[in-house]
Amino acid sequence: MNTQELGIEHYLAELRVALDDLPPNEVAEIMEDVRAHVAELSAELGPGETLEQRLGPAERYARELRQAAGYPPRTERLPVTTKRQWLTRPRAAAWGLAGATGITLLAGTVALRDPAVLLLPAVILVLSLALVHDRGPVQQDVRHLPETVRLKKWLTPEQGTPAERTITYLRTLQPAWWLVRAALLGLGAVLLASRNLLGFLAIAAVAVVSVYAGPRAKLDRRWLWFSLPASALAVGVLFQVIDMTATQLGYTPERSSYSGPVMQQYENIYVYDENGKMLTNVLLYDQDGEPINAPRYYSRCAANAGPEPVIPANRYPRPQIEYQNGVCYTVAPSVSAPSTSSAAEPSGSAPPSSGSEPSSPVPPTSVSPSK
Amino acid sequence: MDTSQLLKGVLDLAVLAVLRKDDGYGYDVVRRLRAGGLNDVGDASVYGTLRRLYNAGMLTSYVVPSEEGPHRKYYSINETGRGRLAESAEMWRSFASTLDGLLEEVAA
Repeated sequence: MNTQELGIEHYLAELRVALDDLPPNEVAEIMEDVRAHVAELSAELGPGETLEQRLGPAERYARELRQAAGYPPRTERLPVTTKRQWLTRPRAAAWGLAGATGITLLAGTVALRDPAVLLLPAVILVLSLALVHDRGPVQQDVRHLPETVRLKKWLTPEQGTPAERTITYLRTLQPAWWLVRAALLGLGAVLLASRNLLGFLAIAAVAVVSVYAGPRAKLDRRWLWFSLPASALAVGVLFQVIDMTATQLGYTPERSSYSGPVMQQYENIYVYDENGKMLTNVLLYDQDGEPINAPRYYSRCAANAGPEPVIPANRYPRPQIEYQNGVCYTVAPSVSAPSTSSAAEPSGSAPPSSGSEPSSPVPPTSVSPSK
Repeated sequence: MDTSQLLKGVLDLAVLAVLRKDDGYGYDVVRRLRAGGLNDVGDASVYGTLRRLYNAGMLTSYVVPSEEGPHRKYYSINETGRGRLAESAEMWRSFASTLDGLLEEVAA
């Protein structure tokens, strides 16, 4: 929609407001005439010329038309009498719209998990619109509810204030929002597509219709019963997408840094019997019969490609490796080795007699240079 | 004297007159009136007058689809309208001649 078309719609909307106390049929007939007129006129406008310059303000146009057509002068419709009947149909419809929009916003945040929750606001919307659908596109009864008047007053601050400028600016963004809304709803539909075909179709349909509903609601207020909840749903979907993204971002670094349970590193095992005698040539197996091999590092022996263990790798205690003159030697385990090295000592109490001299260890292999 | 004041009383007659030969849509009627010399006629006044004559049963309307832009609603004069036109034209002539007579007396 270009600026000229927007200008036409704006002019027509103002005109419609100025005539909204007339019978709806008559207003519709007038608008049909005037729409064609205004469209033709605006095609004749020179660059920079506006409809208002050519026709005068919409309000004056309406006054002149009323006079010539013999309609009564504009009367302010009095608000619906609130004392006699509190819950009128327009009021129920307006609150139904407000409530359903709120519920849609909440439901929208879980709509991608369970789109069926949207049925509740949908039912409320259909029922509340049914209450006022026959009252024409202008919905003056709803417009003149005290709460609607108050809301409108609140949304139209005094000319020139920052609030007024902000709202005016936001109004200009409305067509952009209609597109963003359709995109968000489309995204929601796509995210649902693989899991819930019915939900996908429903939200996709809302996305498509919402493009039409945005500008349409300016002329036919009944479209608000679609347009407002569609916006709420789009915002709900946005929240949900943000939530999903945030969750994913939160988990990813944790997963990538995960390295399994930290285990105590050891490279030799000393086994003692209940008398504190060190056992040698013990073969260790796990529950699956797999040999238990403590990791063993030969990094310092790199120069000579590392001595291969000359005994089964799960036979303990292993000979130690001694480093001399650039050559690694495997030496027989000594009893003193575990008692001096706290890391190898099993929780400090297992070797009961660190002071008592254990019998001399039987070397599994004689001291021999590995190479 | 503001011609728009004079126009108000005779706009019915003028609109019926320009529709006498050919049907026309709103803006079409405005153009014909202006082409006929009523330069000051207001768009909204003509549209209002068309609606009043239509509601009074002197005009009928039909919609012609337009390829570019909205549909156009054409108005055509019916028998009632023609009757009123003849009646009003007669009234106007006698009124105009009366006024002419008065003005001649003033000029004399």
